[in-house]
Amino acid sequence: MLRRSLPLLHRLHRSLSSSSLPPLSQPPTHGHLPNTHSALTPSLHFFNSVLPGQIPTYRVLDSNGVIVDGAEVPDVGREFARRLYETMMLLPAVDNVLYNAQRHGSISFYMTTHGEEAAVVGSAAALSPTDEVLGQYRELGVLLWRSYPLSSIMAQCFSSMDDPGKGRQMPVHFGSPAHHFHTISSPLATQIPQAAGVAFALKRDPARKGDVAICYFGEGAASEGDFHAGLGMASVLGGPLIFFCRNNGFAISTPAAEQYAGDGIASRGPGYGIRTVRVDGNDAWAVYNAVKEARRLALEYQKPVLVEAMTYRVGHHSTSDDSYAYRPKQEVEDWKRIDNPLFRLRRYLESQSLWSESDESSLRTSQREAVLAAFRYAESRPKPRLGQMFTDVWGGEEPWMIREDREEMGRLLNKYGNVWEGWRRELERFDAGGRDMMGAGEEEEEN
Amino acid sequence: PPTAGGHLPTIATSSLLRTSRDSALRSPGIQWQDPDSHSHSRDTRKLNMYQAVRDAMATALIKDDTSLVFGEDVAFGGVFRCTLNLAEEFGRERVFNTPLTEQGIAGFALGLAAMGHTAIAEIQFSDYIFPAFDQLVNEAAKIRYRTGGAYDVGRVTLRAPCMSVGHGGLYHSQSPEGFFLGAQGLKVVIPRSPLQAKGLLLASIRDPNPVIFLEPKILYRSTIEQVPTEDYHLPLSSAEVLIPGDSLTLLSYGTPLYHCETALSLLRSPPPELEHLVPPSLRSAKVELIDLRTIVPWDIASIVESVNKTRRLVIVHEAPSLGSISSEIAAEVTKRLFLKLEAPVRRVTGWGTPVPLAWEGLWGPGEVRVLDAVLETLMY
Repeated sequence: MLRRSLPLLHRLHRSLSSSSLPPLSQPPTHGHLPNTHSALTPSLHFFNSVLPGQIPTYRVLDSNGVIVDGAEVPDVGREFARRLYETMMLLPAVDNVLYNAQRHGSISFYMTTHGEEAAVVGSAAALSPTDEVLGQYRELGVLLWRSYPLSSIMAQCFSSMDDPGKGRQMPVHFGSPAHHFHTISSPLATQIPQAAGVAFALKRDPARKGDVAICYFGEGAASEGDFHAGLGMASVLGGPLIFFCRNNGFAISTPAAEQYAGDGIASRGPGYGIRTVRVDGNDAWAVYNAVKEARRLALEYQKPVLVEAMTYRVGHHSTSDDSYAYRPKQEVEDWKRIDNPLFRLRRYLESQSLWSESDESSLRTSQREAVLAAFRYAESRPKPRLGQMFTDVWGGEEPWMIREDREEMGRLLNKYGNVWEGWRRELERFDAGGRDMMGAGEEEEEN
Repeated sequence: PPTAGGHLPTIATSSLLRTSRDSALRSPGIQWQDPDSHSHSRDTRKLNMYQAVRDAMATALIKDDTSLVFGEDVAFGGVFRCTLNLAEEFGRERVFNTPLTEQGIAGFALGLAAMGHTAIAEIQFSDYIFPAFDQLVNEAAKIRYRTGGAYDVGRVTLRAPCMSVGHGGLYHSQSPEGFFLGAQGLKVVIPRSPLQAKGLLLASIRDPNPVIFLEPKILYRSTIEQVPTEDYHLPLSSAEVLIPGDSLTLLSYGTPLYHCETALSLLRSPPPELEHLVPPSLRSAKVELIDLRTIVPWDIASIVESVNKTRRLVIVHEAPSLGSISSEIAAEVTKRLFLKLEAPVRRVTGWGTPVPLAWEGLWGPGEVRVLDAVLETLMY
């Protein structure tokens, strides 16, 4: 069969070579190919970096809080500097209470920001309060900087009736349109192409001139397809946007060395035509300066900018994780001591007489009291009305399937809610004890 | 009776299409969006389906400054011509190409909508919606719920050509609607004709929920109707009775509706080669033909009302039966009308294989398969 087709191939080949090609003549000379401005070269050279050596890491303070030669601390004023430190300190104050609360079974889950306080709060401080924030889940510090109430944080973690999210998502999935903080969701990196859309909307809206979007994600999330999609969309379509990568060395148990083989996340920015900087993520002033400038560039060019903040995840990934199963405890302790973002900024502030030992102790006391007060209140509050399980699925007219589910649950509650111990106990946790649904069922039976 | 072949309805000659101005303006459920205008001044234009889709998007772009149309290759008019000249008319800032990334397109649309803008995005073929599945199922469908209503992305509409085109093979023929049945919070809509496409698409764009709008691509050029020039909606989650009847409910949507129409013609007056297979007593059966139109959330009231009357149900769609909307409908109808049914609910669907290129003519629910299911159900 193959042999029989050979004559045909010969004929095809002859006809192609004899008649299809244009006659040979001097081709026009050109300097580059149609889809690139790349110069043509006779030398065969492969490369795997766009910079000689690694992309440098921008730093302002060394690990003792001393200004590095040639670096500049931003001129933000005394109150701002103190507030930055206080907010960074509030993070572990909240984290420690809620982490322990999970350990005691009061809340179901928690994720701390230990070690990344400077990256998160330092970047937040460089933003305008109306800049749109799309986060991953370790960005509570942005909300704290924006004075999001401790009561709402606690209500979210407890799924209490005061939770603006109505108790539906796992703890630490915060969100608040008033604080321009888009609600966190668990699927990693989905917020990255969404941020491209948010930035495009800002670009189009005259009322939002001067605002940018910032999109936070970890170095692990940057392996998702949505990272590629989001950077591609944003770089081509434009809009004021800061991609902020928290490179803390681990995605749960996976070290960065098993996440990528290139030079971190920063090396990818230029591939998309995106202005990029790598910054010492444990240096609050370096992060602040970098994001401030990234913000200016994003606004000026209406294009995305990438910031990679190098830091270290001091805490476990989450309360469901024991990180000593995959990294030595000593390594963590070393990082806490050698390169502590809180210590670094504190030493700097003390050297400038902006902070004192007594400031420190009164701050710790007042923060702990405020956090515990909010915690105790949230703990005492019931869960939302039972019927709220069924709202907000579809907007507009409620589809029949939701209505029927609610009615069926009401029927079952009327029948078993007071007799079946498991349900009786469960219902007591909800506002109105589930009577909002049982009542609806009773009315129906009367009809 | 008419002779074989020549008088069978085709898509082009279908009586399901409204080819006069009067019948178009009297379409059931039509909701005019310009309250000031009067019915005597309303006009229609003869359009095929891609032109009607284009007309709907132009209407949305005119009425809403925040609305944007984007996707792969939409700027030059789209590979199916649905966005023809929209970029010239409304500017590249509002009608533009995106990089080739479906998850990027969907995510971008959600970001726009979260900011209150109207996103009308195109996925080039519904076969390629799956890279965006995560953005649609985990994000679009759940954003209102998970934020307690603080954010919603109801201003997203994702258009995608769907269903078989005769030679599309595995990846230019699929009907993915069944995959979205479990995505509570999304709507899925499929039109059958130009007039339907415009009214349902405009309703989808303005609906407070993210909508996946699937356009049967074989109908883009083959269906031609008089389409009202004004802004109008057709209701979502509302099925439409196309041919009333009392002996069997024949339920479908999109392209197979036309196969159903042909099947009913075969039933009424079988051509000589089929005459011996169609018992004369069944030829006068009055079959009720219904267009489901919205797949999620579907119109259970209309279906139950019809089957309560006819006591027999045949469901026809191109997607294979496993995990499809007909599974849902069969279960719900059986639950509600168990004692009324005089035959099992029957489904005529694509065979349970990927869409195979060489066999495409025998793969879908063609008119003979529909005829057979109707006969078997009537004779049960």
